[in-house]
Amino acid sequence: MTAVRTDDDAFEALFTSEYGRVVGIANRVLADQHEAEDVAQEVFIDFHRLHSASADYAPAWLHRAAAHASLNRLRGARRRQKREFAQAIEEGERTLDPQKQVEMDEDRRRVREALGRMAPKPAAVLVLRASGLSYAEVAQALGVGISQIGTLLRRAEETLRKEVTRGTSS
Amino acid sequence: MAHLADGTLRRMVDDPDAKVGADAAHLESCAECQARFEAVSDDARSISALLAVPEARVDVGRAFATVMGAPQARPALGLRLPFFRPSARPLTLAFVAAVAAAALVVVAFAANGFFFKPTTVKTVPITVADIEALSQLANYGTLTWTKQPELQATTSAADAAAIAGGLQPPVVAKLPAGVSTTVTYGGMSEAQATFTFSAAKAAASAAAQGKTLPTMPAEMDGATLTITVGPAVGEVYGNLSNPANGADTNTINLPQLIVARSAAPQATATKVSLTQFEDYILAQPGISDQLKNAIKAIGDPSTTLLIPVPVQYATSAQVTVQGVEGVALGDNTGVGSGVVWVKNGSVYVVAGSIKQSDALDIANNLK
Repeated sequence: MTAVRTDDDAFEALFTSEYGRVVGIANRVLADQHEAEDVAQEVFIDFHRLHSASADYAPAWLHRAAAHASLNRLRGARRRQKREFAQAIEEGERTLDPQKQVEMDEDRRRVREALGRMAPKPAAVLVLRASGLSYAEVAQALGVGISQIGTLLRRAEETLRKEVTRGTSS
Repeated sequence: MAHLADGTLRRMVDDPDAKVGADAAHLESCAECQARFEAVSDDARSISALLAVPEARVDVGRAFATVMGAPQARPALGLRLPFFRPSARPLTLAFVAAVAAAALVVVAFAANGFFFKPTTVKTVPITVADIEALSQLANYGTLTWTKQPELQATTSAADAAAIAGGLQPPVVAKLPAGVSTTVTYGGMSEAQATFTFSAAKAAASAAAQGKTLPTMPAEMDGATLTITVGPAVGEVYGNLSNPANGADTNTINLPQLIVARSAAPQATATKVSLTQFEDYILAQPGISDQLKNAIKAIGDPSTTLLIPVPVQYATSAQVTVQGVEGVALGDNTGVGSGVVWVKNGSVYVVAGSIKQSDALDIANNLK
């Protein structure tokens, strides 16, 4: 029974160290804390179902899954977005003046739509890096060499900029 | 010197330490690269502003309690894939149990008629919710090992073959770089598990969940489904030794590569046909339409071994391996990939924490 307890201990330690970051990644994509926590908890449940918390790849797996699961949810949930952004703003930025809030709301909506239109890998590079992961951590999560991250990031930024502009003009 | 690449410039924006050596000297002296650096830098700033969100404030303790309290946090089918989850228990025995449990579910789907022996493989997309729904089948009857799997790790291929009734372990022609040459052989005798359906248990578990059972075929009560797996042989590359105290799972290395060959699984049913079993399982509440359709769409189910693929996290592709149709799982990230195919009555698996291209290469050169 020692092994079982050790396994659960390892999972708790992993959860404590990574939960905040996993929520952060999902929140970066969804701009909604409640939705982000939902995604994060699903990701941990899925992980716990099949993987050992002491596996070397555990953090990388969680980061990648958080990015993909939240991007999937973003794509599937465009209709709900207006409500979600309104909620995020209400909770996060009551102090801003109304005009600025409207602009920020509009920017966020456009950028999330643009993210949802991007291919999964470049979208994930952007989201993981913006969530504060180092180049090495982004590389591990996406299974690419660290030397490729600069190039991937640059291309992804160009794509996102074009997508946001496209969203504005259409 | 040529102009700096976009990726190099982008990295310089994030990491001042990247501005060193010849690259830094070039940037210093090249007006064109300086202008590009400014543009890259501006883009990075504006994208960062676009992606900004109010920081999430989390209560980790409460979230942990929620996750541990979720019924889904318990392993599907009562066990975890030991390939991914090393424990102090013998890795391989648990692996056999997992394979047998998966085979039970998968074969029940795939079979048509009273007897099933696959000659090819196909994938079906499966979601976590589907796995949950399938694992409820354990409440519908009893599962017993009519022939216990006997598994032994050996140091030689010949010893492993002897345990597996003469089935020879496959030989890897060339290991990819970075994979340990430490090899452990394993052999497993033929094993047989029988699932006996109980109408009373099924009704009770449905009632406990406030659900109604779908209409049951007349002879379903007491019907049995018998799955035979193995014999099987294989080899595991990488250091499998447990730590001396047997408790610290952190020090167990995950196998880098598993190569295995097993006699194709077989299934037989009594009282009802395997098709009736399949229809009844698919009629259970909780099974997604997507999964139902995928299973119904498989061409000749009596000869096809279905490999469930979790749609969220794994990708799969049809590939040609050794001249037959196979399935490749995973990707080129090196986190995990595998190839499965059926040839001459044996199921072959090559899997590990390797790139898919390496897995395919090993598979094609397996002797």
